[in-house]
Amino acid sequence: MMAAVGAPEVISQLESAAKVLMAPPSMVSTEQRQHAEHIFLSFRKSKSPFAVCKHILETSKVDYVLFQAATAIMEAVVREWILLEKNSIESLRTFLLTYVLQRPNLQKYVREQILLAVAVIVKRGSLDKSINCKSIFHEVSQLISSGNPTVQTLACSILTALLSEFSSSSKTSNIGLSMEFHGSCKRIFQEDDLRQIFMLTMEVLQEFSRRENLNAQMSCVFQRYLALANQVLSWNFLPPNLGRHYIAMFEATQNVMLKPTESWRETLLDHRVMDLFFTVHRKIREDSDMAQDSLQCLAQLASMHGPIFPDESAQVTYLAHLVEGLLNMINGIEIEDSEAVGISNIISNLISTFPRSVLTALPNELFASFINCLTLLTCSFGRSAALEEVLDKDDMVYMEAYDKLLESWLTLVQEDEHFPRGCFVQPAVQVFNSYIQCHLAAPDGTRNLTANGVASHEEEEINELQEDDRELFSDQLASIGMLGRIAADHCIPLLTGLLEDRVTRLHGQLQRHQQHLMASADPGTVERKVLDDLYEDIHWLILVSGYLLADDPQGETPLIPSEVMEYSIKHSTEVDINTTLQLLGSPGEKATSIPGCNRTDSVIRLLSAVLRTSEVESRATRASLTELLSPQMGKDIVWFLRRWAKTYLLVDEKLYGQISMPLSTAFGADTEGAQWIVGYLLEKVINNLSVWSSEPELANDTVELLVTLVEKRERANIVVQCENWWNLAKQFASRSPPLHMLSSTVQRTLMKALVLGGFAHMDSDTKQQYWAEVLHPLQQRFLNLINQENFAQICQEEAVKQEIVATLEALCGIAEATQIDNVASLFSFLMDFLSSCIGLMEVYRNSPETVNLIIEVFVEVAHKQICYLGETKSMKLYEVCLTLLQVYSKNNLGRKRLDVAAEEDQYQDLLLIMELLTNLLSKEFIDFSDTDEVFRGQEQSSGAGRAVSAADVVLYGVNIVLPLMSQDLLKFPSLCNQYYKLITFICEIFPEKIPQLPEELFKSLMCSLELGMTSMSSEISQLCLEALSPLAEQCAKTQEKDTPLFIATRHFLKLVFDMLVLQKHNTEMTVAAGEALYTLVCLHQAEYSELVETLLSNQRDAVIYQRLADAFNSLTASSTPPTMDRKQKVAFLKSLEEFVANVGGLLCVK
Amino acid sequence: MADADLDFTIGDAGASATYPMQCSTLRKNGFVVLKGRPCKIVEMSTSKTGKHGHAKVHMVGIDIFSGKKYEDICPSTHNMDVPNIKRMDYQVCNGEYYCTVSTSYIFTNFCFSTFQLIGIQDGYLSLLQDSGEVREDLKMPEGDLGKEIESKFDAGEETLITVLSAMNEEAAVAIKAMAK
Repeated sequence: MMAAVGAPEVISQLESAAKVLMAPPSMVSTEQRQHAEHIFLSFRKSKSPFAVCKHILETSKVDYVLFQAATAIMEAVVREWILLEKNSIESLRTFLLTYVLQRPNLQKYVREQILLAVAVIVKRGSLDKSINCKSIFHEVSQLISSGNPTVQTLACSILTALLSEFSSSSKTSNIGLSMEFHGSCKRIFQEDDLRQIFMLTMEVLQEFSRRENLNAQMSCVFQRYLALANQVLSWNFLPPNLGRHYIAMFEATQNVMLKPTESWRETLLDHRVMDLFFTVHRKIREDSDMAQDSLQCLAQLASMHGPIFPDESAQVTYLAHLVEGLLNMINGIEIEDSEAVGISNIISNLISTFPRSVLTALPNELFASFINCLTLLTCSFGRSAALEEVLDKDDMVYMEAYDKLLESWLTLVQEDEHFPRGCFVQPAVQVFNSYIQCHLAAPDGTRNLTANGVASHEEEEINELQEDDRELFSDQLASIGMLGRIAADHCIPLLTGLLEDRVTRLHGQLQRHQQHLMASADPGTVERKVLDDLYEDIHWLILVSGYLLADDPQGETPLIPSEVMEYSIKHSTEVDINTTLQLLGSPGEKATSIPGCNRTDSVIRLLSAVLRTSEVESRATRASLTELLSPQMGKDIVWFLRRWAKTYLLVDEKLYGQISMPLSTAFGADTEGAQWIVGYLLEKVINNLSVWSSEPELANDTVELLVTLVEKRERANIVVQCENWWNLAKQFASRSPPLHMLSSTVQRTLMKALVLGGFAHMDSDTKQQYWAEVLHPLQQRFLNLINQENFAQICQEEAVKQEIVATLEALCGIAEATQIDNVASLFSFLMDFLSSCIGLMEVYRNSPETVNLIIEVFVEVAHKQICYLGETKSMKLYEVCLTLLQVYSKNNLGRKRLDVAAEEDQYQDLLLIMELLTNLLSKEFIDFSDTDEVFRGQEQSSGAGRAVSAADVVLYGVNIVLPLMSQDLLKFPSLCNQYYKLITFICEIFPEKIPQLPEELFKSLMCSLELGMTSMSSEISQLCLEALSPLAEQCAKTQEKDTPLFIATRHFLKLVFDMLVLQKHNTEMTVAAGEALYTLVCLHQAEYSELVETLLSNQRDAVIYQRLADAFNSLTASSTPPTMDRKQKVAFLKSLEEFVANVGGLLCVK
Repeated sequence: MADADLDFTIGDAGASATYPMQCSTLRKNGFVVLKGRPCKIVEMSTSKTGKHGHAKVHMVGIDIFSGKKYEDICPSTHNMDVPNIKRMDYQVCNGEYYCTVSTSYIFTNFCFSTFQLIGIQDGYLSLLQDSGEVREDLKMPEGDLGKEIESKFDAGEETLITVLSAMNEEAAVAIKAMAK
């Protein structure tokens, strides 16, 4: 279109379009704006626009038009590369570079765009070897040596543009070429040109660092080159053999560790490089922007590893030099705020990069100085971080730096056997002390003190979404806990002493309050400041103690940390066991008042200190002082006890090489100590649940402690011997206060705990009695209620509904308690309820939250149990789910939802139904059932003839879900994801069922797939593409033509074909789309040929025609005729990649 | 509390207009009295003052009669009044009719009373109770619902009116066709 018009007309057209685009919004209409945008778009797509663009660049005065011309050139060069003469490309590049050089006053964005075009040309040419890359470096180095800051800046821009283009990262322009192309370019570049850029940069930095004073302009140039150096050192070096993992290339452009190839050895192992960066930093460290770059360069150097080091001694020499440089840099300066993060990065990089053997090979004195420096730095950053918290700063630089250093300590001490024995003890003591000090109130600590010692104490509003400190600071606490173990001799007694002291003070304080209350009876006058300070001290002491004494690994049995075990063993000869047990067993007494308390085991004494805290709390609740207590402290206590119990309670001696006598005597299996503490913990739980029902989080932590006590059979065996446990079970079953006031999640978990406890060891009478106390009342109450004659009349009353809801919550809790050894009885118990629940669906169809809860029961049962169920049991579950779906569907017919401004939770039921279906399907993937192994003896497998299959239920469910899933609903991410997960599952698992779907349903399923493929996120698009192959294979299997599915797949062939060939494809999707395309091509070979023919016949240009024809030929060459054979498919996918690289860009031309 | 049936006596005719419940046990979608008005809870969140403070519950409710929004914040240990929504004459709605509601939200799980509409006089509805008695003390609702009632009635359609009642207050909230 443009070619037909003369250049001046084009320019004036573009200039007026630019005017429209640049005009303030009020001055132009949307149509005008869109029209103007369209003009630029079609201009950029015009064929061979080079002459016009050159003309524009030379004559137009409108910056935006210049920018567009540069973009047009860049896009056209890539598009028409093959067709262009090599020397015309070269002259184009020279033209652009000269153009920029001659116009120092170009707008920055125009200049950068032109340089980008240059870089793209150089990159595209580097693979053809048609463009002489070297000449550009020669030109640039001349620019640099000019000494003119403007020209030097320009040179830097050229290099930066080249770097971005060749880095093949997200910064790289999208030029529609294969990943392989990008990879090859990058690899060639990094071996040679990149190093040249680095050398040029080093020269500039050297030059500048020698100068005494830098004026503003100079320092600006300096900064740009420093940033460039950082970019080079952050280069994500491609290994020589990348294989086919091109994707990795585009990831990880941040926090790349420096791993240069061998060819960089001479350059980067030269000490002068590192020295230069230290020198540079010293020079500019007060400029916070530049300092960030120079420190980042050093951090990159500290992360260097890989083949660049010929051997370990080279690594040692390099590291020694780095550490020396670092110490010289830090010692004797006062660290600026802006340096903290950078310095911690250097340290953290070097500790995580260099192997222990290299660290230990450092000269002793150097290593000691380094550790000493690290210790001081950590303590100092910790104090500054605390100050930042007091001042409530937005930018917590010291906190970030402190986190980094603590993490490094963790890395160091976790492998401390490599280091000289005990070398970390003193540092650990110092870091630990400073952490404790920062977290305790004055006078022992400095919490909430500003730099000049003024206390600041503000009560802020904390909402429920705010994380608890134990999670928020879990990384810090894990490191501090680890350091505490290293220096257990110091840290455990320290914590014990501090905690015992605070507990005594808390006790006294509460007593004073009580007397005060009795005197004045006005709680309003109570001064909380002293109490709150004590609570906060106790809070941190308990958190640190918890992290020190035990780990909380997910899914495995936590062991007593070896350091703690050794510490206890080491002192066991000085310990009097009886006194220790006495100390443990008397939490109501002051520890120091027990005679011989100094001859007790310190690990047990630390636990006792927490138990003493717990006892003070419990007694305060009994004295009606609950209002004065801190729910936060309550949470800390049960959190600690849970963590402790998981590790220490009924310690299994078989798991340890050596075991401490005091620990095994106090908490081992069959000990009085263990029984006593189980009883104590149970009492605590019961007390908390009745006192703290108004504090949901505390109640939750409490009930989790209860679950911990019963989830292990050995512990549960002791628990069920306690009378309290039975009382709790009875009380809960009677649904009376205070337990029924707990939140629904807590009640659910409590039910789970009660059920888990039921599988402990009991004689059969006791067991029967237990179930009669726990589960049967639930059933009985439920049946009594729903079978009442007037149930239909009373069912909507609040009290009745509450009873129903409580039952449903309990059922969810029971399902959650499923384990492989109890699934048989729980399944049978729950099955009895499920059918009644369906009846309730009818009754409560106008109460969405009740309906949701009913469906949730099914979701939970399916989720927790289906993988264990054998054929007969599964079928029962399928049947009942099917009935549920039928009722749900019937009730949905007349259901009116708020469609205006609907919120996601309005569709909770739909989400749950889809979850249920997905759970039912999951049996096809995860199946632990061994032909009713767990139900053996209960029944005979019925064998052949499934009445209802998973497929039936799921497809029936899809019948319901599909019509409800409107496009609007797909806008809700959770619904959309669950929906596509479900339909892809179905296509993959039951492709044979798809053709049997009713027509309407089939159509909407196909529509959903198309919609998902074309207009959803790439993740969903990928899911849909994955669903296509099984569908096509299904068609091939039946060999029936003209079925709806056959016709639909033909349509998908065209869609996928267009997607891959004509549209700018998303590289992530090539594999999924390619696989789908291949199976579809196999199925519809004739149609595929037709598609290709049509595409070719539209090409007027003979050269393009031939290229395309050749490309299509080679695409299918290795798989003719295409058959559904893995080998052929792989070959096809490989050719497809070449195909896309070859002609993908070409076909994008309008 | 041994006898399960005892639990379900709440809400019977003659019970007080409200009953107390600990604030923390209230649930979203449940009912509560806020600023003296019976409300359905549409939002609930907790917070505390200072790390060692006790939980407070923040509630947003919608007046079940007027649709107005009310908010309150109170310690989670406190008792709040919950309206006793009185049930006079319940009739099962059979899900096949469209419910025109007077406010911007859907009434769910309310106890409705349903009456047959037999007349409209001076802005008051004449309603036939199942007992055969006629009550004429219920105001014609304003807005779209009122118009619909009027037009349906004028067209001679047999209609049932749904009446909501709580805390000695009543209002017509919906209209539906009589089952043939």
